[in-house]
Amino acid sequence: MRLKVCGMKYQENIEQVATLQPDYLGFIFYENSARNFDSKNIPKVNKSIKKTGVFVDASIDFVIEKINNHNLQAVQLHGKESPENCNDLKHRHAELDSAPYPLEIIKVFSIKDEFDFSVLKPYEKSADYFLFDTKGKLPGGNGYTFNWNVLNNYPSTKPYFLSGGIGINEIEDIKRFAKNKASKYCYALDVNSKFEIEPGLKNISILKEFKKNLSEVLENKKEKAMNYNVNEKGYYGEFGGAFIPEMLYPNVEELRQNYLKVMDEPEFKKEFDKLLKDYVGRPSPLYFAKRLSEKYNTKIYLKREDLNHTGAHKINNTIGQILMAQRLGKTRIIAETGAGQHGVATATVCALMGLECIVYMGEIDIARQAPNVARMKMLGAKVVPALSGSRTLKDATNEAIRDWINNPVNTHYIIGSAIGPHPYPDMVTRFQSVISEEIKWQLKEQEGRENPDYVVACIGGGSNAAGTYYHYLHEPDVGIVAVEAAGLGIDSGESAATSVLGKEGIIHGCKTLLMQTTDGQITEPYSISAGLDYPGVGPMHAHLSKTGRAEFMSITDSDAMEAGLELSKLEGIIPAIETSHALAIFKHKTFKPDDVVVMSLSGRGDKDLQNYIEYFKI
Amino acid sequence: MNRINKKLKEDKKLLSIYFTAGYPKINDTVSIIQNLEKNGVDMIEIGLPFSDPLADGPTIQDSSTKALKNGMTTEVLFNQLQDIRKTVNIPLIIMGYFNPMLQYGVEAFCKKCQEIGIDGLIIPDLPVDVYHEEYQTIFEKYGLINVFLITPQTSDKRIHYIDSISNGFIYMVSSASTTGAQSGFGKEQTSYFERIGKMNLKNPQIIGFGISNNETFTQATQYAKGAIIGSAFVKHITNKGINSIKEFVNSILN
Repeated sequence: MRLKVCGMKYQENIEQVATLQPDYLGFIFYENSARNFDSKNIPKVNKSIKKTGVFVDASIDFVIEKINNHNLQAVQLHGKESPENCNDLKHRHAELDSAPYPLEIIKVFSIKDEFDFSVLKPYEKSADYFLFDTKGKLPGGNGYTFNWNVLNNYPSTKPYFLSGGIGINEIEDIKRFAKNKASKYCYALDVNSKFEIEPGLKNISILKEFKKNLSEVLENKKEKAMNYNVNEKGYYGEFGGAFIPEMLYPNVEELRQNYLKVMDEPEFKKEFDKLLKDYVGRPSPLYFAKRLSEKYNTKIYLKREDLNHTGAHKINNTIGQILMAQRLGKTRIIAETGAGQHGVATATVCALMGLECIVYMGEIDIARQAPNVARMKMLGAKVVPALSGSRTLKDATNEAIRDWINNPVNTHYIIGSAIGPHPYPDMVTRFQSVISEEIKWQLKEQEGRENPDYVVACIGGGSNAAGTYYHYLHEPDVGIVAVEAAGLGIDSGESAATSVLGKEGIIHGCKTLLMQTTDGQITEPYSISAGLDYPGVGPMHAHLSKTGRAEFMSITDSDAMEAGLELSKLEGIIPAIETSHALAIFKHKTFKPDDVVVMSLSGRGDKDLQNYIEYFKI
Repeated sequence: MNRINKKLKEDKKLLSIYFTAGYPKINDTVSIIQNLEKNGVDMIEIGLPFSDPLADGPTIQDSSTKALKNGMTTEVLFNQLQDIRKTVNIPLIIMGYFNPMLQYGVEAFCKKCQEIGIDGLIIPDLPVDVYHEEYQTIFEKYGLINVFLITPQTSDKRIHYIDSISNGFIYMVSSASTTGAQSGFGKEQTSYFERIGKMNLKNPQIIGFGISNNETFTQATQYAKGAIIGSAFVKHITNKGINSIKEFVNSILN
């Protein structure tokens, strides 16, 4: 079951309740109520919490105005609103420009000792949920429960909210109720007056205790299995966590305790959005690739991350993390880089903010990627060669971690992919999630719908993929395709197809799928693309692979190179070789003519020109 | 009683030595252990090499890389140690990263340790809470002591938590660093040693990281039950070979 906390009134109290992550927060817009919400704004709360406006026989204009002003995702109708009123409201809402999601309508009915369920029938189509409250003098907020046994006769299959006088003393009753068949369609618990210090002011500690004691009831196991986001402990299913030496614990713990709080601050959000717009150049276009679509007889949209400043999606994350580092009072930035793209993106934001920047890069990669090394130096960064182990990306990561161990107080480590110890995979994913956030509204503009049939991205560690999938993870009608580098072929011994060749283990602080010997030594992957040859994959992707939520494909060097050339000739876009791997799936997977396939064009090909030149003898 | 607990009860300051198994030569393991005991070392940490040793400085990274090239694996190490308890009596601890143990199977690994006569494990990247929730019962079933690290940045609350989970000693990392020699301990470090000393923990502490000679050993053991030397020993046998172990141990103990 879910939890709705209703009758919110005070700014600070709203923020505090929001940290408990209820599923709904209710705001009463009814002058006669002691909990009438009359502040100008609702403070920013986590997007996963649905803000619900509660109305009693209000006019449609009034309801629409409140939806608009406060960005409400649900309305709860407490008066004598008719099914027609509900329908009208839905239609009016759908016409709003600012309505990214359909409005949820919750229609309230009051019950005492008995109830005539036939009154529900006319609302079956127009309401999304019913809410059963105690019949009393007031329209809600009477403070005592009704006889829940009445619900034994519930004739509908529509999910409902259970409300009315629920408090800490009802915990055992709720547990019993949850086992009872009457609760089969009980979707949420709605609480209010029993958790108050005064009307509208909620007692956080009692709420917390309530939530904790009912964790079994509130966290539906079935729903949990279907969750593709990180849980409170930092795991995606069995993957993730923070397997770090004690020396790193304070640094990682500081980040873990602060990252969500900081990201939810309105000031932070504002600065992040502004930099993404003015400095990075977002929103990046969602481009309908007409000639490519014709060739493969389907509808292909390219999300143009290649048009970002510095030429790839990487900068979305480094902008976010540099602002995070500033909020945490850090003055020194370290990063690892393979091909140099993340190193350049980090050096860029450090220049922007005037912070010291040290980039670790494998000695071999430094020799292979001279232009990016020069870029980083021009931007004022110090490039330190990683001389240990195989002297590539994985060793650069080791060196950066060692640096962090040696500089625990003033340094922030900007990890470049959705990897590393919790909270890194989640933090990086959230910063990159702007990609799918934009795709949603951009696709709505162009195709009249937010959800494509497929989202596709290439995966090394998996940050552009994580951002491209993020808002679609829980949309079952959207297929997710992840494209790994097969190198010279999966069985060739020269590959980076982690989902096929990898086994569960621990790399760079997280449990995930990684390429290793039977003895547990981490092996060197191979791909023509320097951005895909990481021996592991982010824990979120390991979970998507294991649960079957995403379809994993692997593409060889030669297929990728051909696809890169093809896009150049068909659309006038030279992609990064990483991205070319994603483009190559059209040769191997057939889509229907009316399928909408959105692909993340994660980077531009400038950095790979030399590779293309040598490969095609241009 | 576990050999570690017994050793900790002795009325003396303890010298513990770390070396990387399979280095310099693949088959040096047993003779290094025997020689260390013979020359008066109290406890030994046998390093199971790992490809990506995050908490280690250049010396141990290097010895680990070479040991792996020499062909060292978990299986090979266990075979080498099969009869170790016929000749060696001091406590033996395996120190390694978690992934190789995970691949071997944590329970199978622990079982094998018990069969051989290994007394404890140090796994820097297995955090105390994960151990507590998932592995403690397995370790205890096979009579193994798991040793946790604390650093100058570890909060008092966490130190008490670690103390409550530990049943041998606490590995006190001398400073915020990876392994490897430093030149002596400054005021900051000694006051950290003092602070921990005053916490009245139930487990004795042994100081490691940055201990390299008689001076740093003496300094560290003023504040703790003992000290661990790793990189300095690995460096010594790199330069002078494994026949000069006596010389090294004498130089530490004077």
